[in-house]
Amino acid sequence: MTTIDRFEFPDELYYTKDHVWARAEGHIVTIGLSQFGQELAGQIVYVEVPRVGRKVAKGEPFMSMESGKWVGRIKSPVNGTIVEANEEIEWECTLVNQEPYGRGWLAKIQAADLNDLNDLMRADSPEFAAFIAAERAKYKK
Amino acid sequence: MHLYPLGHVPWLESQLIYHAQPRLGLEGLNILAPREPYVCIGYHQDLAQEVDVAYCRERAIPIFRREVGGGAVYLDGNQIFYQLILHKDNPLAQGDKAAFYQRMLQPVAEAYGDLGVPARYRPINDVITLEGRKISGTGAAEIGDCLVLVGNLIADFDYETMARVLRVPDEKYRDKVFKSMRENLTTLRRELGRVPSWEEMTEALIRRFEEVLGPLEPAELPRAVYEEVERLKPQFLSAEWLYKRGKSRAGREVKIASDVHVVQRVHKAPGGLLRATIELKGERLASVSLSGDFFCYPPNAVSELEAALEGVPLSEVADIVARFYATHKVETPGVSPQDWQKVLGA
Repeated sequence: MTTIDRFEFPDELYYTKDHVWARAEGHIVTIGLSQFGQELAGQIVYVEVPRVGRKVAKGEPFMSMESGKWVGRIKSPVNGTIVEANEEIEWECTLVNQEPYGRGWLAKIQAADLNDLNDLMRADSPEFAAFIAAERAKYKK
Repeated sequence: MHLYPLGHVPWLESQLIYHAQPRLGLEGLNILAPREPYVCIGYHQDLAQEVDVAYCRERAIPIFRREVGGGAVYLDGNQIFYQLILHKDNPLAQGDKAAFYQRMLQPVAEAYGDLGVPARYRPINDVITLEGRKISGTGAAEIGDCLVLVGNLIADFDYETMARVLRVPDEKYRDKVFKSMRENLTTLRRELGRVPSWEEMTEALIRRFEEVLGPLEPAELPRAVYEEVERLKPQFLSAEWLYKRGKSRAGREVKIASDVHVVQRVHKAPGGLLRATIELKGERLASVSLSGDFFCYPPNAVSELEAALEGVPLSEVADIVARFYATHKVETPGVSPQDWQKVLGA
């Protein structure tokens, strides 16, 4: 686990610059919002989960969430197809805030090419430390 | 940054312009009002659950689903809208949501002050009068690589039609929504006894926004924006978009202001069905109506319980109901004090 101030980033995950984490198990990539990302979002009041079978494109938004009348978008870290969505968060969206790396996961994607993950950051890399430092300055966190 | 003083525009354009600009990556501040009234629902709302669609169709009131958050609202030309589109990497978009809202709603509060109604920002996204009444609506969205903030100056407000276009479980609930709106949402007309001119209102807004955004250069909307508006029309007018699956919930809840909600809940107790229509202010029951299908002795106990619960914090409901049952010797077979607690959400 990499800890930066009060923010925790599990080392086994990949991270996008939109604060989405990704975990690969075979060709299935589970994604969620990082602890830092959920804090930026604030208290989430609704998550629109994607339809299973939907094609997603790397870097393109495919689901949304709302907090404080603010609609935020979640971008896919890989090209692929949604194979499972976390239905639980549609009813209990506070899980995304409370357990971002656990029960608050967002969706599982059958990745077309796992090499897409190579473009993401690892928690223990200097690049990620510099990125989070810049984000903390930007968002005053 | 460009300022687009658009005046009164067709209602559909008043929405689609700010959906088109971020798709083209164009920053700017729009100031406008819709020519015709319409109902606008939030991105994640369920239309059939929130709006009396049949009533709107009958009265030829158009309905639109925006990409911005928040709830269903009745909008018309007596509300002057600002629509701010900023690139996500614009320094003005920095900070978290609370910081962004505060930075951008401060000019709105100050514009009200300039018009003679002192107002202030209240977290997370309200502008309120000094007495605490909401006087502006606000919402935001990430569209493309931009942040979009939309909100209004409320010159006047048609409370009656607003309450009428909402889908409600019964007329008692509608009446409570209407009264709560009248009490908690105010307008320039109500505060000043008059409606300031268009120039007064828009000049105050522009002047105050310039203090935060820097110089605003009046410009005409690029042709590309109108072309994008045309391209977006079929999607935003489609039944598929309008009836997109949204947030569903048990019971009914209408948010009047950030800390004021009118809620109806139903709870099935062993002895019958209980229904509570409540106005919640923060964590306090501002008003309570209880009804249902159950036996109660003495017969006037329910109305006395309503009175006993008015103004009470949710945390004290359990004690008050239990004490009320004991002191009034209330008998409700199959309906316990805990059932009241459940239907009241305490």
